[in-house]
Amino acid sequence: MSAAADHGVAPTTARRFTGLLGVVSLVVGWELAARALEGAFILAAPSDVAVWIVQNAGLLGRAFRVTLGNAAAGFVAGNLAAVMLAALALAWPRGERVIAGLALLIFCLPLVATGPILRVLYGPGPGPQITLAALAVYYTTFVPLLVGLRAAPSSWFDLVRSYGRGAMAELVHIRAAAALPYLFAGLQIAAPAAFLGAMVGEFTGAERGMGVLTIRATRALDVDAIWALATVAAAASMAVYAAVGVIARAVLTEPPPVILSPPPMPRTGGARGRAIVLTTAAVLGFALLLWWGAMELFDLNRFFAKRPDDVWAALVTAPDAAETRATLAQALRETSVYLLPGFAAGLALGTGMAVALTLLPAIGAGATAVAVALRSVPIVTTAPLVVLLLGRGAVGTIVLVAVMVFFPTFVACLHGLRQAPGQVIDVLDSYAAGPIARLWHVQLPAMLPAFFAAARMSVPASVLAVTVVEWLATGRGIGSLMALSASLSDYDMLWSSVVIVALLSVAGYAGVGAVERRVLSVYAAEQMTR
Amino acid sequence: MGADAEIPTSPGIVCRGVSKVFPGGVEVLRPLDVTLEGGQTTALVGPSGCGKSTLLRLIAGLEAPTAGEILIGGAPPSVILREAALAVAFQDPSLLPWRTVRGNIELALKLARKPPDPRKVDDLIRLVGLEGFADTRPAALSGGMRQRVAIARSMVTEPRLLLLDEPFGAVDELTRRQLAEDLPRIWEPRRTTTVLVTHSVSEAVMLSDRILVLSPRPAKIVEDIPVDLPRPRPAGIDSTPAFRAAVQEVSAGLARGMASTTPLAAQ
Ligand SMILES: Nc1ncnc2c1ncn2[C@@H]1O[C@H](COP(=O)(O)OP(=O)(O)O)[C@@H](O)[C@H]1O
Ligand SMILES: [Mg+2]
Repeated sequence: MSAAADHGVAPTTARRFTGLLGVVSLVVGWELAARALEGAFILAAPSDVAVWIVQNAGLLGRAFRVTLGNAAAGFVAGNLAAVMLAALALAWPRGERVIAGLALLIFCLPLVATGPILRVLYGPGPGPQITLAALAVYYTTFVPLLVGLRAAPSSWFDLVRSYGRGAMAELVHIRAAAALPYLFAGLQIAAPAAFLGAMVGEFTGAERGMGVLTIRATRALDVDAIWALATVAAAASMAVYAAVGVIARAVLTEPPPVILSPPPMPRTGGARGRAIVLTTAAVLGFALLLWWGAMELFDLNRFFAKRPDDVWAALVTAPDAAETRATLAQALRETSVYLLPGFAAGLALGTGMAVALTLLPAIGAGATAVAVALRSVPIVTTAPLVVLLLGRGAVGTIVLVAVMVFFPTFVACLHGLRQAPGQVIDVLDSYAAGPIARLWHVQLPAMLPAFFAAARMSVPASVLAVTVVEWLATGRGIGSLMALSASLSDYDMLWSSVVIVALLSVAGYAGVGAVERRVLSVYAAEQMTR
Repeated sequence: MGADAEIPTSPGIVCRGVSKVFPGGVEVLRPLDVTLEGGQTTALVGPSGCGKSTLLRLIAGLEAPTAGEILIGGAPPSVILREAALAVAFQDPSLLPWRTVRGNIELALKLARKPPDPRKVDDLIRLVGLEGFADTRPAALSGGMRQRVAIARSMVTEPRLLLLDEPFGAVDELTRRQLAEDLPRIWEPRRTTTVLVTHSVSEAVMLSDRILVLSPRPAKIVEDIPVDLPRPRPAGIDSTPAFRAAVQEVSAGLARGMASTTPLAAQ
């Protein structure tokens, strides 16, 4: 109930005001900081940004239209795919785990490597950008849909059946409507993600678009342009995020859910172990089949369209396999030095901020409004900025990964803390327990499911962030290795790194899920059995 | 569809050796043999958890019996389901939160593939005392009000068999009495076969022609008490000696029924 009040269907005037205040102070602070740092060539003031936008309005407008078009096409394609996948999982419940696993594996493909690969597969044109945009959005729509299509008590289905109706009537009258809030939650996240996907696609060798301008500005160290492009991308993303929110409010009778992560596997003991092994085997089998089938179906050239056996050869049987493996391992080690601290810092900061704001509700409202708005910013498109501000070393990369993890974690934890059951808090209050006791005994346990859901989804997100920065700027790690392999047409290495990164991301996701199951079985038993 | 229906207007219900054991071994119904006459209202009374809702779900064909068979108007439950001639008011009102009161009632017509009938919907909304709430969503209603919507929904399709599972559980005493007077006026002229689960002896006496007292789980019928009061019940009947005598008889039967089973064993 408290969630309905806080993430209410209509934001109050007070919340609008604090949100506006937050944005204004952000802009003013930015302007002052830029003035103070003038001459350092890292920070463009809002006024400089505005001037650049006006002076380059024609160029920017054309690029923006191209990117927006690609993002929109990817948005539609990705969400359609999500709906179809969810429908398939609904129609074939026994296959759901395998479908979900495949969807995760494909979502974990590193965009910075799939971009160049798609580029050679498609040839010139917007194909890769649109595909990357679709890849960036479909999972975050698929997952809530999967939950939403089942988010109805069994008695509603009994009602339908008591009039002699079947699965089709259930879908039309119950499931579709019950899934709608979940669909909108997914679409809202998908809107900025599509923009991000399109821009990453443009980073990897397009002719036109915002991503192309960004790459040029980064190479030329045109500070005003970098900031202007990032600002436009952020503003556009926030606008589409808000627009989907407005539509959702007009259509829905209840607010969309906040947490967009599938529940971990519910079973226990030996049965679960076997289920995991079987599912994993089935997912890998299907993935290999899909991969090989797609390459053969389109009869793609083996030089750049590697098959599973090519990658196997490159990594295992080829004369230089050991060398390839060593190169990959070295790159992965470099990446993990950035990735793991950034991931941990983002989680810790997101959780810490959420807890702090719960203890200090006075400043909570404004900060929350800003955070929810910033959650819609495609962080990765600001990568050039972070590099500009913090340099090409470890700090910039770690900060970007942390920021990428921070926002979803913060929003999810804040939401989770508010899920604490009111009656239990009343009981504590009746013993005059302080805010710390309340936090420790009630609110933190209530927050755990949201925290873990965010942590799981942060694994692929942080991999995306780290590879983009490495690819664009630092020249180290797996992202840089992919960029190098792409430019040297070393497709064996490129495909091998795609496979390894995707598998490691899925493993990381599953690892967080394993910890989650352990912890939640103690602290949130009822969530586990649902 | 209606003309060549296989189900008679007031179908009788025959249970032959019906038992139910849930997976995991929970035995809910001992083999049960009972015939409910068509056009009658039968009340099921018994301790909670004894299997009343389960029996209703078996009759509605939402659940299959472990053994035995159920015939409604001489046919298995699937037939009356197919003809959409059945309606259930579930214990949990199960209203769809995105539909208004009116929308929830209209949904039953849609599901039963019957034409929309705004007049009838309005009449029912008035009958259950929700005038002025037609365009309200369930979230803004009290528990009792929601149950009244569920009752209206179950009546709107003019079912030939009406199953009411503790329909007044959350309804306040005054409204409950009013409903107990008003509702039979709808099903009386149509001679709807009705099965009513209730905890209230006076409600059972007020609404039904026959009262079956069930034992604690696994349920069996321990008392079968006919109610000899005129139908339709005249207004004010609940303050007559005949009514009070009937209530006492049922209460005594209920006590006998409970005593005849080992008291705590089934809990
Ligand atoms: N689907 C089910 N699986 C297992 N046990 C069930 C199921 N449904 C009901 N039960 C059990 O059957 C017994 C009777 O339930 P129910 O028919 O709802 O009782 P009543 O309506 O008389 O209160 C209860 O002990 C309940 O726990
Ligand atoms: Mg019951």
